[in-house]
Amino acid sequence: MINFGFSISRPRTIDIDRNNLHKSNEIIAAMPELQTCIGCGSCTATCTAGNLTEFNFRKVHTLVRRGEYQGAYEEMNKCMLCGKCRLVCPRGINTRGIVMLIKRKIGDF
Amino acid sequence: MKHIIIIGSGVAGLRCAIELSHLGIRTTILEKQSTIGGKVRGWYKLFPSFTSADDVVGELLRQVTSSEHITIRTECEAVGITPHVVTLRGGEQLECDAVVVASGFELFDARQKEEYGYGIYDNVITSADLEDMFNRRAVKLTNGGSPRRIALLHCVGSRDAKVCQHHCSKVCCVTGVKQAMELKKMFPTADIFNFYMDIRMFGPGYEEMYREAQADYNIHFVRGRISEVSPTIDNRLQIKAEDTLTGRPLKMGVDMLVLLIGMKAGASNALYESECNLRRHESGFMQPRDHFLGNTESNVKGIFYAGTVTAPKTIGESLNEAVVVAHSAAEWIKHTA
Amino acid sequence: MTFYDSFCIPFIVGAIYMALKVLWKYLSWLRNLPASDLKLIAKGLFTHRTLTATWEVVRESLLHARIWRVDARLGYMHTSLAFGWFLLIVVGWVETIAYLGFRWIPLQGHVFFKYFVPLNNITQHKPVFDFLMDALLLFVLSGVALAWWKRHRSRSLGMKRTTRHNTLDRVALSALWVVFPARLVAESITAALYGGGSFLTTGFGSLLDYFFKTSTLRALYEPSWWVYSSALGLFFLTMPFSRYMHIFTEIPLIFLRHYRLRPTAEEKSYDNFEIEACSRCGICIDPCQLQSQLGNHEVQSVYFLRDRRYKMLQQKVAYDCLMCGRCEQVCPVGINLNTLRLNSRVAMRNTPNEGRYSYLRSIDPSQGSGKVGYFAGCMTLLTPKTLHSMQRIFDAAHVDVWWADRSGGVCCGRPLMLSGEIDAAQKMVDRNRELFLEAGITTLVTSCPICLRVFRESYNLEGIEVLHHSEYILRLIQQGRLQLRHTTDSFTYHDPCELGRGSGIYDEPRAVIEAVGTLLEAEHNRRNAFCCGSSVANTAISDSQQQTIASKVGAELEATGASTIVTACPLCKKAIMRGSTTPVADLSEIVAESILH
Repeated sequence: MINFGFSISRPRTIDIDRNNLHKSNEIIAAMPELQTCIGCGSCTATCTAGNLTEFNFRKVHTLVRRGEYQGAYEEMNKCMLCGKCRLVCPRGINTRGIVMLIKRKIGDF
Repeated sequence: MKHIIIIGSGVAGLRCAIELSHLGIRTTILEKQSTIGGKVRGWYKLFPSFTSADDVVGELLRQVTSSEHITIRTECEAVGITPHVVTLRGGEQLECDAVVVASGFELFDARQKEEYGYGIYDNVITSADLEDMFNRRAVKLTNGGSPRRIALLHCVGSRDAKVCQHHCSKVCCVTGVKQAMELKKMFPTADIFNFYMDIRMFGPGYEEMYREAQADYNIHFVRGRISEVSPTIDNRLQIKAEDTLTGRPLKMGVDMLVLLIGMKAGASNALYESECNLRRHESGFMQPRDHFLGNTESNVKGIFYAGTVTAPKTIGESLNEAVVVAHSAAEWIKHTA
Repeated sequence: MTFYDSFCIPFIVGAIYMALKVLWKYLSWLRNLPASDLKLIAKGLFTHRTLTATWEVVRESLLHARIWRVDARLGYMHTSLAFGWFLLIVVGWVETIAYLGFRWIPLQGHVFFKYFVPLNNITQHKPVFDFLMDALLLFVLSGVALAWWKRHRSRSLGMKRTTRHNTLDRVALSALWVVFPARLVAESITAALYGGGSFLTTGFGSLLDYFFKTSTLRALYEPSWWVYSSALGLFFLTMPFSRYMHIFTEIPLIFLRHYRLRPTAEEKSYDNFEIEACSRCGICIDPCQLQSQLGNHEVQSVYFLRDRRYKMLQQKVAYDCLMCGRCEQVCPVGINLNTLRLNSRVAMRNTPNEGRYSYLRSIDPSQGSGKVGYFAGCMTLLTPKTLHSMQRIFDAAHVDVWWADRSGGVCCGRPLMLSGEIDAAQKMVDRNRELFLEAGITTLVTSCPICLRVFRESYNLEGIEVLHHSEYILRLIQQGRLQLRHTTDSFTYHDPCELGRGSGIYDEPRAVIEAVGTLLEAEHNRRNAFCCGSSVANTAISDSQQQTIASKVGAELEATGASTIVTACPLCKKAIMRGSTTPVADLSEIVAESILH
């Protein structure tokens, strides 16, 4: 079934006022380069795991930066750390480092 | 009679020489290549008005060749520049009263982005190749057929840390829109997809062109950068990108892939920095004395910059700068000697 | 003679404490060894291995043969200190026997022999022994002088940088530096007052006698022995906690290594022997490109081992390493630096095992059929020229190929392993292994050295020969199945870390290159080759740092004047392309270009 992202129980709005940005700020402070992402999607397009599952690295780290942590840990755990994304990122972001950092910081949120 | 040397015979160099000849100043244009006219000679039609590139360069060349004040020397590379002496490769020295550096840019070598398959697969071409095909009236697949589906990829060799080209090349977005429209005119039944990271339509009439491409030409714009290209069994190309607006990976087969290659700093710029004490920006382009009050002057008095030697620019901007430089240089030599 | 004086106390306390502490450490490490390691010891103990280990102890712990190979001056320094001190003890022991016959003498009696038995107390002077002892003392003192000089001018001893030490090391080091000069002074004063000694102590003694009054020397006599004893005592007290623990630890390590004990992917008690056998000599610092090319002075193996030993290892130190193996190559103690760094990462991982990668089960991206399998690897999909060239090579040699992952597949697992996530990596290993076995291939070719290494080391692919494409291509050439045109082109070759130091493949790619053109060697090649900087082992390095390393490596390769830079790893190729203007090609490309039709 196509998931359009609608659900009844959780509001769709990313409510920056209500979200706890503490973790997100910590992640950005540890690797500020994450903020340079221009969302081109190269990482997701080339992603070995993303080819086989619905894992979307760009979307997950963007949601984390907005304070939306739910499910991020499980998603990041699909990554195989192969490093293709790092080779194609036009901003030169250390994507593998980001995956490991987010997993450590978020844990089972 | 005062004499100014202009390095480079692209549109900026030619326009500058013409303006100086109107002011009664003798100029010598030094061109590294064997022909003059620069890269614009290779283009077909110019955005946003679809003016023929030949019309523009042709007019400039007509005026240059008819002027008695302008001397042209081809296959001459300047390796040493001071305001009063230009040294050529081979050692010959030319005297002058001022120098205008209009040596332009280089096209990004798409083979550096190996994952796009340029030089490996058939029917992966660059925007410059496409202009050449337009000029030769020979837009077709390597098997002679007509493309039914074409993808154009923006930002190849621009805004890309991986090839050390951090800057935006400015003209590729609108070139991509222009070429998509031209292709659509040529192949009305073909589907055309532009893959982009950001669309930057800053110039007069550009945004309108973009809208026209969408509304009247039915060009598809996909926000996502292609990350891989591979051949299919039936000799087509399969491209992979993320459709970032839906957040899902996207793949499709195309017959032709056009890479919109960016502008790279001129190869001579490194030499200007090391041998001539001219300042160079991190991007490799030359650094003007001041962005506001000395945008066409170098850090050495008497050496001026025109056109894309300092940054990616449109043809119109380069032509405008050439006129400004002609007047500043004329003013400067009036006050020296 | 009682062989006791109050000044001996610092020495006796230090010596006893050190002996107990060191023994306790060894016993607890041995006790905690896994059963498999204990079995290995039992199996090796009464074999020739014990003999060869003993010989290595002499060669390495005393003579420091490997350091001599790094630099002769550095070798002399270590030999004079270690072997010199050892001989001082042994000859000293013999000396006491020569003077006093076979009888029991307490430890301090041997060490402070000159104090307890000055010449006027004994019947017969033995000039040969006195000369020997003085000569040995001079030998050791020359080493101390060099060590002191090295602290301040490391370059003159062949080291661009030397280790930054912590406080405890500094205390131990200072004590060690004082020990031998203090011994010289104490023995010289004794010789001046009571006779005995040889050229050094008598000579220095007469010099002291010339400058000082005899009463002054008499007043200095007892304190000088106190200083000597205290320096020894202080050194012994700090020894088990400082770098000097290596003096003894290298010996059991050599034996254990000869019994085939090795560090593994998970930390174990044996690691302690390797970690504490590090003398922090700092020889690993210079080869580290993070240091020499990026100016990062915190993460080198010497500091990693130190931090791990004192349980203060931080993630950034554990992860900021290319694992290129350049340091391991020169380590005089032969410590398995990469494995230790890796098992630290394993200990630091925070990934649960359950349910991860369950999606792999249903995946089979393979195409074609044939006895020869080709695994491109994730990275090769971004260098399609390699893939394209391999296709041309297979076609030219008429090989039917089973393509494992031509349009993307399951990662080989090594990147996860290198990040410490070994259990997660195992899932990838299992799935790929299953696919290889199901396909019924007999040969598996890969053009990615990262994949190659994990296939060989962790896949247990019985019945399948795993080859790097350089080996496979060379075989095709030698079998006459691939006819190549020899051109006048010149190539230089960059050794990928995982292929060269990692898998010992140096000659095959070179032989292939020589089949199509001329090979020009770069300054750092083979075992000493630089890393391209893009190693998947480092998850801490930034893009600009990778670029800096790539430019330096690229510049060195360009300096050969070759028209093409050749490498045999997709990651190295991508990296070097960023760092040079000369064209960069994978080995397969230059071969495919030269195929005679």
